[in-house]
Amino acid sequence: MANDWQPDLERLLDEHQSMVFSLALRMTGDRGLAEEIAQDVFLELDEHLGKIRSPEHARFWLRQVTMNRSTDALRRRKVRGTDLWVELEDGHAIHAEDRVSPVGTRLEHLLTTLPEAQRAALILRYQEDMLPDEIAAALDAPVATVKSQLQRGLKLLRAKAASNLREFIRGA
Amino acid sequence: MEHEELDDFERELKVALERRPAPPSLKQRVMVRRGQRRRPRTTVIWMRLAATLLIVALLGGGLRWGLQQREEQRQGEEARRQVMTALRITGRALNQVNSKLAAHNHGGE
Repeated sequence: MANDWQPDLERLLDEHQSMVFSLALRMTGDRGLAEEIAQDVFLELDEHLGKIRSPEHARFWLRQVTMNRSTDALRRRKVRGTDLWVELEDGHAIHAEDRVSPVGTRLEHLLTTLPEAQRAALILRYQEDMLPDEIAAALDAPVATVKSQLQRGLKLLRAKAASNLREFIRGA
Repeated sequence: MEHEELDDFERELKVALERRPAPPSLKQRVMVRRGQRRRPRTTVIWMRLAATLLIVALLGGGLRWGLQQREEQRQGEEARRQVMTALRITGRALNQVNSKLAAHNHGGE
């Protein structure tokens, strides 16, 4: 079955553009940059289409490359999440119709203030519903490291949420 | 961690991190950029092919010119050798004639 599968850029774009864009958006906190990254990732996929063996492989490849390109973009800009958040607050980074709820939006904001590795692990865990071993494979990191990043990231996010959002004080 | 139930905070985080729809123009922009990238690639292939053909033609011409030069040199050497041989034969014949004339002159005296 997998052998019959032929990768097609347009179909892969339809299926995965939301995933790729969301990963890049949450990693960078910048809508414009996220769109640029998403475009670059799909163009890179186009060059590697011959090496993509199955739909699962395509999804894994897209997640891995998106995370790498987002990290590269952040390093190039030498901007931390907190700085990016100023940009988000100031303007046009997130469209009003994208906002889930004020609490959700605030949580997303707080997520961008976490260290990069913890942020990456949490995004893959809670956006993509991935298990630690899958996250480890996507980030090319040991599973133990990923588990530790997830725990530390979640703890830090809870602490930030507790001080920022009264709604979570009881749950934290 | 994978067997743990999500608590309220994690559930809220999961909701907050639902995938966002990509900008409607994303697909179109990717396809346009893909088209733009493919065109130069075809041009580059043609340029490489033309450069290869030019190099092959130059090398072929040079090789032919070299072979021609060597052939001309060989023919020149051959002609020189033939002239030398002819001169040697002529010299030898003249010597013989000289010897015969000298002998005849001696006999006459």
